[in-house]
Amino acid sequence: MDFKFTPEQEAFRKEVRAFLKSEVTDELVEEVNSGLGLGPAGWEYVRKLGKRGWLVPMIPKEYGGLGASFWERFILNEEIYYCFPEFIQYFGANIVAPIVMEIGTEEQKKEYIPRIARGEIEFALGYTEPQAGSDLASIDIRAVEQDDCYIVNGQKTYNTACHYAQYHWLNARTSTEGKKYKGLSFFIVPLDSPGITINPMWTMGGERTNEVFYDNVKVPKKNLVGQKNRGFYHMMDALDHERMFPITHIQRGLDDLIKYVKGTERNGKLLIEDPLIRQKLAQFAIDIEVGRGMGYRIVWLQDHSKPGGHETSILKVFVTELERRLTYTAVHIMGQQGALRYQSYCSSPIAGWLEHWFLADTRRTISAGSSEIQRNIIAQRGLGLPRS
Amino acid sequence: MEFNLSEEQEMLKKMARDFLTENCPKSLVREMEEDEKGHSVELWRKMAELGWMGLIIPEEYGGIEGSFLDLAVLLEEMGRAPLPGPFFSTVVLGELLLLEVGNKEQKQEYLTKAAQGQVILTLALNEAESDLDPDSMTTTAVAKGDEYIISGTKMFVPDAHVSDYIICAARTSEGVTLFLVDTKSSGIQCNLLQTTGGDKQCEVVFNEVKVPTKNILGEVNKGWSYIERWLPKAMVAKSVEILGGIQETLEMTADYAKDRMQFDQLIGSFQAIQHHCSNMMIDVNGSRFLAYRVAWMISEGIPCTKECYITKAWVSDASQRVVVLGTQVQGGTGIMKEGNMQFYFRRQRVAEVMLGSSDFCREKVAQEMHL
Repeated sequence: MDFKFTPEQEAFRKEVRAFLKSEVTDELVEEVNSGLGLGPAGWEYVRKLGKRGWLVPMIPKEYGGLGASFWERFILNEEIYYCFPEFIQYFGANIVAPIVMEIGTEEQKKEYIPRIARGEIEFALGYTEPQAGSDLASIDIRAVEQDDCYIVNGQKTYNTACHYAQYHWLNARTSTEGKKYKGLSFFIVPLDSPGITINPMWTMGGERTNEVFYDNVKVPKKNLVGQKNRGFYHMMDALDHERMFPITHIQRGLDDLIKYVKGTERNGKLLIEDPLIRQKLAQFAIDIEVGRGMGYRIVWLQDHSKPGGHETSILKVFVTELERRLTYTAVHIMGQQGALRYQSYCSSPIAGWLEHWFLADTRRTISAGSSEIQRNIIAQRGLGLPRS
Repeated sequence: MEFNLSEEQEMLKKMARDFLTENCPKSLVREMEEDEKGHSVELWRKMAELGWMGLIIPEEYGGIEGSFLDLAVLLEEMGRAPLPGPFFSTVVLGELLLLEVGNKEQKQEYLTKAAQGQVILTLALNEAESDLDPDSMTTTAVAKGDEYIISGTKMFVPDAHVSDYIICAARTSEGVTLFLVDTKSSGIQCNLLQTTGGDKQCEVVFNEVKVPTKNILGEVNKGWSYIERWLPKAMVAKSVEILGGIQETLEMTADYAKDRMQFDQLIGSFQAIQHHCSNMMIDVNGSRFLAYRVAWMISEGIPCTKECYITKAWVSDASQRVVVLGTQVQGGTGIMKEGNMQFYFRRQRVAEVMLGSSDFCREKVAQEMHL
């Protein structure tokens, strides 16, 4: 056993940290926290990451990456997550690029990956539909072959990032015969294609997500990615790319909460002197160590080309539920202050953003495979319990 | 990073598993709970032949000079068995502390014997109203010529009734001092306590027990500083032992769920049962990472006091959740005395508060965080 990073990895972490220190401005953080996704400051920052090859560190150099290992990618994300408690997912870089690299044609790789790498384009995931949430095999948006195109008709929902991304990573039904999960395919669709309508949907945390309507949208056949009717399997592989969960944003939340309790008096006593609060804060430090270890273990498995399988589900459940506990406990410790919104004139900056995060992160135990779905996977794949 | 054990450690793990499966069946565990001694002399001799009691002892004292991580591998298997008897007391409460604080002569004399399994050691630290707290300790040791006279009552001393030597923490003029006490000394009385876990803990009464000055460990009045250096490691050792128990609990519970039929279905196909089992697995995996990473840190000499407290705090709580769910899933079978689940349920209860409860450890973590 050995739980050290190599000197090269430590040096890389330092380099990333120094970059973020100078590039992550208040303006950028505020833009990220707006819940609107990438704005002017966001795009500029993404391009700067792209310049260094840091958006897609694992992609080979010829496509704009660094050809680095899973460890570098994870270290990079650990540092980024610490700066943005409420972070933006780069769907293009983290999910689409690796899967296109795996299953795309050479032409598709050359067309999309270098532009993702440079931070010029972003993708929105096109999975969920009103009747297909956890049950993704029930996707119903239809793609029908016609000449050199597919004609797409139907509806997606909760497709975050559609309003600022250029492309849709669309999973659509290409066959209605046989088992439901054997009739899905992946397409890359420009979101400005005629026939696409994007309507905003708002979460209680002020985040924008979208419903997307396809009305006779023409998608060139060359935009089909991977094998026709193998889209469900490709989607499952892509979800594995999605399931990378550093816990440094939770560490950041705890660090900020500690600042708050060290500097806040209630009823004539500093909050930090309250034994109950000390117990709670220490418990978070303990939980964070557990989450950190689970995360490193997944990276180690990935680095050895071993499947994460149920262990990725363990990590996802643990980290997202820990995040819930932290934000809930934070606003609880803050008492009535904890329910003050940013805009409230007497809210302290920390109280404001923790309240914001509390509302915003509620989705984390729901999206990317709900906690319940993950627990099914752990039981069935990890412990061999039978499917019902 | 490397998450796998070394090849030698995997061999040690396999050997320990095979040996304990054969030599420490549940029938023996059951029998030893009722037995006054609480351990099998024959099993102890076989373990000595394997060199287990000398695992962490340097070669110059006749040991194998293995690492703390090696010990962790062995303790996990013992927790899984679960092995009754004074191994933990001798090796973790005795040897590990002697290695920390004993002088050359003391190590030569006691570690050499302990390595061969010739003596059983233990530690008398706590009292009825003192749990890991030097200030509330009332047992005293008073200097008289070249001897000290110890008086007082220590509590929760594991395996004291079968020990040859007890390391006793007692109050001296300006602090706490550690004494190595021969249990044959006059004035010592051991009373066996009945515990939830069916393990053998004792009340040890010291009635003007005379101990020669040469049996002082380290310096007079500095005893607690040694305990503070040793305690985090002992917590980790206890945590790994608990880990073995909850790993076994998880496997036993999953097997049960794959075998038990109700409503014409395996209960393991019910989502409620699946989620209980998943929660158990999350806790076991978390415990495994913490316990082994910190065992590795200790082996490498990396400062890790905070990580030790973190580990015991987490493992204590996680193990409680695991045994409660394991019992719940196994239903009536889980709570019956004739079954095996109940061993782990009862032992966890004792282990979670031994060498630092989670509340105690969390406060220590808070202090390490400079809160």
